[in-house]
Amino acid sequence: MTLAIRGVVKRFGALTALDAVDLDIEQGELVCFLGPSGCGKTTLLRVIAGLETADAGAVLLDGADLIATPARLRNFGVVFQSYSLFPNRDAGENIAYGLECRRWAKDRIRARVAEMLQLIGLADHAGKLPSQLSGGQQQRVALARALAVDPALLLLDEPLSALDAKVREGLRFEIRALQQRLGITTIMVTHDQEEALTMADRIVVMRAGRIEQVGTAAELYDHPETRFVAEFVGRINVLPVAPDGGVCGRLMALPEGRLAGRRPALVGIRPEAVRVHAPEAAPAGALGAQLEQAIFLGNLTQLVLRVEGAPEGDPPLLAELHGLRPDGFAPGAPFAVELPPAALRVLEWR
Amino acid sequence: MALSGAVARPPRHDRLPIALVTLAVAAPLLLFILYPLAFILGRSFVTETGLGFANYARMLGNERFLGILANSFAVTLVSTVLAVVLAYLFAYAIQRTAIPWKGFFRLVAIVPLFAPSLVQAQGLVLLFGRNGLINRTFDAGIEIYGYWGIVIAMVLYVFPYAFLILSAALAVADARIYESAEMLGAGGARVFRTVTLPATRYGLAAAIFVCFTLVITDFGNPMVIGADYGVLATEVYNQVIGQANFERGTVIGMILLVPAAIAAFGEKYISARQFAVVGEQSRPLAIQPSPGRDAVFTAVVVAIALAILAIVAIVVFASFVDLWPYRMNLSLRHYAFDVQNGIEPLWNSILIGLMAAAIGVVAITASSYMVEKLKSAASRPLYFVSILPAAVPGMVLGLGYILAFNNPANPVYLIYGTLLIIAICNVYHYHAQAFLISSTSLKQISPTFDEASATLGGSRFDTFRKVTLPLLAPTLVGIAVFFFMRSMVTLSAVIFLITPSTQVAAVSVLLLEDRGATNQAAAFSVCIMAVVVAALLLTHMALRLAGFRNVSLIR
Repeated sequence: MTLAIRGVVKRFGALTALDAVDLDIEQGELVCFLGPSGCGKTTLLRVIAGLETADAGAVLLDGADLIATPARLRNFGVVFQSYSLFPNRDAGENIAYGLECRRWAKDRIRARVAEMLQLIGLADHAGKLPSQLSGGQQQRVALARALAVDPALLLLDEPLSALDAKVREGLRFEIRALQQRLGITTIMVTHDQEEALTMADRIVVMRAGRIEQVGTAAELYDHPETRFVAEFVGRINVLPVAPDGGVCGRLMALPEGRLAGRRPALVGIRPEAVRVHAPEAAPAGALGAQLEQAIFLGNLTQLVLRVEGAPEGDPPLLAELHGLRPDGFAPGAPFAVELPPAALRVLEWR
Repeated sequence: MALSGAVARPPRHDRLPIALVTLAVAAPLLLFILYPLAFILGRSFVTETGLGFANYARMLGNERFLGILANSFAVTLVSTVLAVVLAYLFAYAIQRTAIPWKGFFRLVAIVPLFAPSLVQAQGLVLLFGRNGLINRTFDAGIEIYGYWGIVIAMVLYVFPYAFLILSAALAVADARIYESAEMLGAGGARVFRTVTLPATRYGLAAAIFVCFTLVITDFGNPMVIGADYGVLATEVYNQVIGQANFERGTVIGMILLVPAAIAAFGEKYISARQFAVVGEQSRPLAIQPSPGRDAVFTAVVVAIALAILAIVAIVVFASFVDLWPYRMNLSLRHYAFDVQNGIEPLWNSILIGLMAAAIGVVAITASSYMVEKLKSAASRPLYFVSILPAAVPGMVLGLGYILAFNNPANPVYLIYGTLLIIAICNVYHYHAQAFLISSTSLKQISPTFDEASATLGGSRFDTFRKVTLPLLAPTLVGIAVFFFMRSMVTLSAVIFLITPSTQVAAVSVLLLEDRGATNQAAAFSVCIMAVVVAALLLTHMALRLAGFRNVSLIR
C-alpha cells in the first residue's frame, strides 16, 4: 500500500496546524513524523486516520482518495499514546473488538485472537483486564488489537512515550521487528529523535505545520538543509556567515547556492567534525582558539572553544573528541582548530 | 495533543443519523419539560378581558398574598441559614476532627432522604404537638404549629442535602497549606477564617442555593405543621385543589418560580466556577486528635443526630401505637391499612418508582450521551433544557402537566390519570440532577475510546453498546436508585396528578395526617422508609457482587 498526501491543510480557528503538506510513503516502509509538540505531526496522523477532516487537500491510498471515507471504513490500525484499551474488556476481548465489528464468525475470532496474543508473547494474559497489565503489556495488546484486522496501514501516535525508559527501548525493537516481518506500511509520530533514528526507514521532520525535510537518519544527520533540522537531529555548531563570506573571521570556500545568486547565510558543522590540534602541531591555515571549558563525558570529551578573530557575538565553537582525557586542560589554554570545508553544511541562504 | 479536542461539525455521512437521534432525544424533553412550562406561563396571562398582566397585578396588590410572600421568605431565609450552619458543623466534625463513629453519624445525617418529605413535620407534631408526647407527658404547653414549626421541620428536611455538598467540599484539603499557615503563626481561628472557609466557599454557596430552592418549594411540611401560617407553596395547593382556581394557582406558581430559578442558576454558576483546590502535589490532611475540640464537636454531632433520629423514632413508634395519644399500648393494627384504598398507594408508589427508574435511565442515558458525546449544534440547547427542571418547583411542573395534558386533544391525554404519567413527571422533575451525574461520568470516559473504536471499524452504535454503556452502567444503576428513591418520597409534583385510583403513599401520609389519622399516616411513612432502605441495600449488595465498589447510591 502506498500513501500519498497532497496539499493537506488543517486549521483550528486562527491556528494553521497543517500548511499544505505533501508526502509520499512507500509500501512496507516505516516512516517517522518527528518534531516538537505543536508542529502538526499528530494532526497529520489524525487526518490520515480519518479522525480529523482536512480543510483542503487529498489523502490517496494506492491512488484512491480517502477524504470522504470515515475512519471506521479506512481499515487502518491505530495505536494511541494512552493505549486506550477498553477498560471493560480483557486483553483478548480488546483484540477481538475490530473483528467483532467486522462480523467475523466466533471461532475465527477466537483463532485470530490466540494468534495475535502469541505474536506479542502474551498468550497467558488473554483474560486480564487492562488495569491488570503493565504499561508495556498494555501497549503490546494495543498493537495486537490494531494489527488483528489486517490493516492496510499501521499508525502509531507516540506509542512509547508513556512508558519507562527501559521498557521503551525493548518495545522499539519489538515493534520494528514485527513491522518488518509483516511488511506493513507504518507511520509513527514521535518527538523523540532517538526513537526516530533507531526505528525509521525515513524520517519526516515537521515544524509549524510544514514538512522541513524528509530523509533517512543518515541523510538528515549528514545533510541537514535547515538550521531546525540540524539542531533537532543531533548537535551542531551554527556559524553565521559574514556578508563577505567569512566564517569565524576567516574566508572559506563555501558551497554554491542552489539558486543562482544566492549565498550562504548560516553554516553548520557537527562537533565531531571540528578538528582540534595542539597549538605547536597546528597545520597551516588552522584557526587559533582558546579553551573556555572542557566537559568530560566518559567516552568523549567536549571542548568549548573561543575562536580568535571570530566576530563579537558568534557563539563559542563546540568540538567533541573521542578517547581524550581533559586532565590538565585549564580555561584559557591555547588550541588550534580546523573546520574542514567538506563538513560544512549550509543551513540558511540569503 | 490538545488540539484534537476541537471537533468541528461531523462529516457528511454522519449528519442524518445524528439528526434523527437528536430528534428522538429532543422530542420528549420538549414535550415533558418545555411544553407544560410554556402552557402554565401562558395560562397565567389569561384574564377575563384577554391576555395581560392583570392576574399578576391583582395578586401583587393583594395584601393577603403579600403577607404569604413575606412568610415564604421569612421561613426560607432563616431555615436555609440554620440548616447550612448546622450542616457545616456536622460535615466539619466528620471531615476535619477526630470524633468517634464517623460512619454511623454520616449515615444518620442522610436518613431524612429515605423518608417522605413531610416526615419531619409529622414527627415534630408527634413530639411537640397538642397531642404530642412532650405536651401530653409534661403538660409543657409548647406551641409548635406555625412559623417555628415550619422552620424546624425545614431545617431537618434540607439538612442532608447541605451535608452532602459541604462534606464533599471539606473532604479535600492540601496539608501543605495548613502546615504553612501554622508555621506562619496562625492560630486555629485564623486558619479556619483564612484557609478552610475560603477553600469551601463554593460548597457553602452551592449548599445555600440548594437549601433555598428546596425550602421555598416544599409544601408538605408547612401543610402539616403550618396551621394558619401560609407560604407560597401551600397557597398554590389551596388555590388549585381547595378552590379550583387555576389562574391564581398558576400565577402564584410563576411567582414561586422566580426565586427558585434564581437560586438554581446561582448554584449552576457557582459550581461551574469551582476550581480544584488540590493538585497532583497535594498531600491529604492528616487529622490529629485534639481532646477539647473533639469533645465539643462530638456534642454537636450527637445533638443533631439525636434530633434526626428522634423524628424517625417517634414516627416508627406512633405507627405501632394503638390509638395516639389515648391508648398508647402497642399494636400492629395500623399495618392492616384498613383505610380508604388500603395498601394500594404503597404498591402504586413502588410501581411508579420502578417505572421512573426504567424510563429515567433510558431518558438520561439518551440526553447525556447526546450532549456529551454526539456534539452537534443541538447540544447546547438540549443541555439547557436538560438542567432546566432544577429551576422549576415540582408543584409548578405538576400544575403544568394538568394544564397541558388534561385535554383530550393532546395525545398524552391517553396516559393522563395513569401511574405512567406520574412516573414520567418524576423523571423530568428530577431530570437535572440525574443528567449531571450521568454527564459527569460520560466526561470521564476518554474520547480516545471513541477514536480507538472508530479506527477498529466500530460504528457509533458499536462503540456505545460495547464500550460506553458498560462503562456507564454502574452510574446508571445509581441513577435508577435515585429515581426510585425520589419517586417514593416526593409530594410536590405528583400532588396534582394523582386520581382516586392512582393515589401514592407519600400523598396518603399527607391526607391521613390531615384527617387526624395519625397512626395510619405514621405506618405509611414507615413503609415508605422501609421500601427505600430495602431498595438501597439490595442495590448495594448487587453492585458489590458484580464487583463495583465505589458507586455512590445516595444523591
